[in-house]
Amino acid sequence: MFKKLFQRPEVSTAKPVVIVSGLPRSGTSMMMKMLAEGGLETVTDSLRQADEDNPNGYFEIELSKNLKDGDGKWLRTAGGKVVKVISYLLEFLPDDLDYAVIFMEREISEILASQKKMLQRRNETSSVPDAEMESQFREHVRAVKFWAARKPNMRIMYVKYNEMVDQPADLCVSIAEFLDLPLNISAMQAVPSQSLYRNRA
Amino acid sequence: MRSVLVGFDAFDPFTYEALAGNGELPNLTALAGKSGYSRLKVCAPPQTEVSWTSIATGSDPGTHGIFDFVHRDPATYVPYVSILPTKQSAVGEQFIPPYTARTIFSEAADMGYPAIALWWPALFPARLDLPISTIPGLGTPDVRGQLGVGTYATSDPDEKKEKTRVTLLKESSKGKYLGALDGPLTKTGAGLQPAKLEFSLDILDDTQAALRIGTVEMPLILGQWSPIFEIKFKLGLLFNVTAITKAILTRARGKISLYFLPLQIHPLSSTWHYGAPKPFIKESWNAGPFLTLGWPQDTTALEEGCITDDQFLALCDSIFESRKRVFYHHLSKMKEGVLAGVFDCLDRVQHMFLRDRTDIVRDWYCRLDGFVGDVRSKMSSLGLDKARFLVMSDHGFRKYRYKVHLNRWLAGNGYLAFSNGAAEPGLQNVAWDESSAYALGLNSIYLNVKGREGKGCVTAEQIEPLLAEIKAKLLNLRGPDGSNAVSSVFMKHEVFSGPYLRLGPDLVVGYAPNYRASSETGLGKAPQSTIEENRDHWGADHCIDPAEVPGVLFANRDVANIPEVSFRDIPFLMIGKHLDQSYVKPPSEQNRQGQENIEDRLKGLGYL
Repeated sequence: MFKKLFQRPEVSTAKPVVIVSGLPRSGTSMMMKMLAEGGLETVTDSLRQADEDNPNGYFEIELSKNLKDGDGKWLRTAGGKVVKVISYLLEFLPDDLDYAVIFMEREISEILASQKKMLQRRNETSSVPDAEMESQFREHVRAVKFWAARKPNMRIMYVKYNEMVDQPADLCVSIAEFLDLPLNISAMQAVPSQSLYRNRA
Repeated sequence: MRSVLVGFDAFDPFTYEALAGNGELPNLTALAGKSGYSRLKVCAPPQTEVSWTSIATGSDPGTHGIFDFVHRDPATYVPYVSILPTKQSAVGEQFIPPYTARTIFSEAADMGYPAIALWWPALFPARLDLPISTIPGLGTPDVRGQLGVGTYATSDPDEKKEKTRVTLLKESSKGKYLGALDGPLTKTGAGLQPAKLEFSLDILDDTQAALRIGTVEMPLILGQWSPIFEIKFKLGLLFNVTAITKAILTRARGKISLYFLPLQIHPLSSTWHYGAPKPFIKESWNAGPFLTLGWPQDTTALEEGCITDDQFLALCDSIFESRKRVFYHHLSKMKEGVLAGVFDCLDRVQHMFLRDRTDIVRDWYCRLDGFVGDVRSKMSSLGLDKARFLVMSDHGFRKYRYKVHLNRWLAGNGYLAFSNGAAEPGLQNVAWDESSAYALGLNSIYLNVKGREGKGCVTAEQIEPLLAEIKAKLLNLRGPDGSNAVSSVFMKHEVFSGPYLRLGPDLVVGYAPNYRASSETGLGKAPQSTIEENRDHWGADHCIDPAEVPGVLFANRDVANIPEVSFRDIPFLMIGKHLDQSYVKPPSEQNRQGQENIEDRLKGLGYL
């Protein structure tokens, strides 16, 4: 019995890594900016500079692209800080860390329209019809939600982009409660603005 | 870790949502809040013992091995109760645990936490090798080692019952009667015979009597249940068996009648490992006492007219109250760990009253709602506000208008042939060399597979086409009102996975609402008609298509945001751990179609 008692798993006291996630063009950069304004330290290398698509910056870190190759060591020092990791890469986050994920949701048609413009500006093309891409993104988001809800080391809050842009006040309070952090709410809610709500389909 | 689970057997989401919509279930509505409620996807088949075991293990029957209430020995086709298996040992036939898969209780105990399981199905006999405190539920036998029928004592020598044991009350003098109860079987010169215990019944007036049995003197009031009392049967010179029961005087004028509940295991004096550990059982008994039979709400007595509706409901009341006392006792002592209790009176009440007395059913939903309010209030006063708290059910409920005699349907379609002249067609008189499929249990069809079944004739190449053919035909089966009798048929690999997959039925039949397999089908019999109107008191059921009878899940945490929440998720919600990881597939493995397009798109956008 004593042996059993000493087998209890240790309760992690480390601060969870805050992750902002979602499909590209779902408002992840806006949320990163909000959290930064709210007082949360961001983990970013600023390699990708602000441009016409993201005038406030991307808040990305190039290392996140290596997650798929099993390189997530750099996240060990990210406890209590916020990192942007697109939804596709969430499943590659190291299992031995705890995460509080803010997952941005936006109408897929709006996301596709925004992505199309971004592709054009990057001189990229896509041969996949919109309807097919839309259905694949929907299935991808469904699969991410099914999986993420069942990850013991992952708490997740879904934030609708349009609600955040239109009525940020209550959502900012909810985000602070979810993260259990004393964020500067008024600074956060000043970030979303109709000017960011661009590229609408 | 502190987790409390209250299980309400058969708590139906549609009834809940309707009543809650009228503001009639305030405590559950409060618990549901914005995101603390969801319909729960239940396993196939949605039978009580299968479903609670699937919940406890977070896995389907392919992993735990309980597929149906009735299983069969493929070599002999002989059916047996799946949750009461036995094996021969040096000391005779012994009960063995019906499954060994890991549960939320064993896992919590393994992590070093106390784990208490109260009235959870399929936990008899107690697993002494596991440090789990257990009072078993469905599947616990009576003192005879059977699922249990009561004894009807009557002064009318012509009175007969189909299932209930009948004993004659002989008038020894005016108003004084003598009778005898049959106890456990014992070896006698004439072979195995039931041990007898004589009793006397003195009618005092039109409403009162005195029962004397063994050392017990019990005053009885007409129509009211006695308290639980103990009786002792002598099985030889040195060996006694103590049983518990309750009695009710049902007629005190003219023809006299008295009914005894099935003789049940005394938890402190059992020849089998009823529960564990002993100090826990003693403590629980002192907080109770409680009936120990796996199905203590005596639906057979009600069906056979031994007791009335009100007497049946009064019995359910007393069972619920005694379980509440035991549950509250353990809750009040809880410091950490897992405490789970299954309350199953609602299931029995709905079986007997959902069709004709919805007012009674509604009252029970309100009553359970009140219980949830009391539990939350106690948890709050005990400082357990932040403990995980789950309220859930194993399935919902539907009306049951038509009985399907599935073996008759198989025979009518050329899949099953009976020997000529069989008086009561059933699996005991099948012409196996002419039969390709048979039904047994409430949702199971087996093919008569060569090399697997004792007299199998279906070859490996015939299996898949035969299954597809039977499935297609069953989905076209219509009832007397033209409605579909079956709404789903699953092949075993569609609903089962794990090491016991090969032992499962080849097809799982999901009846449409209003239909269910007849109880004769459950035992492998084949009455003359394919579909028969159900005129029994038992007018509602749940052993149908699982999609038609989802369960409920309430929690003091977010469950509405868990997509497709199912029985597989309960260990995660209860102890923060999945017992079966296989269903939690990363997104890229859930659907590989489209992965390439998504990756190309992300590269194009500079994200990969």
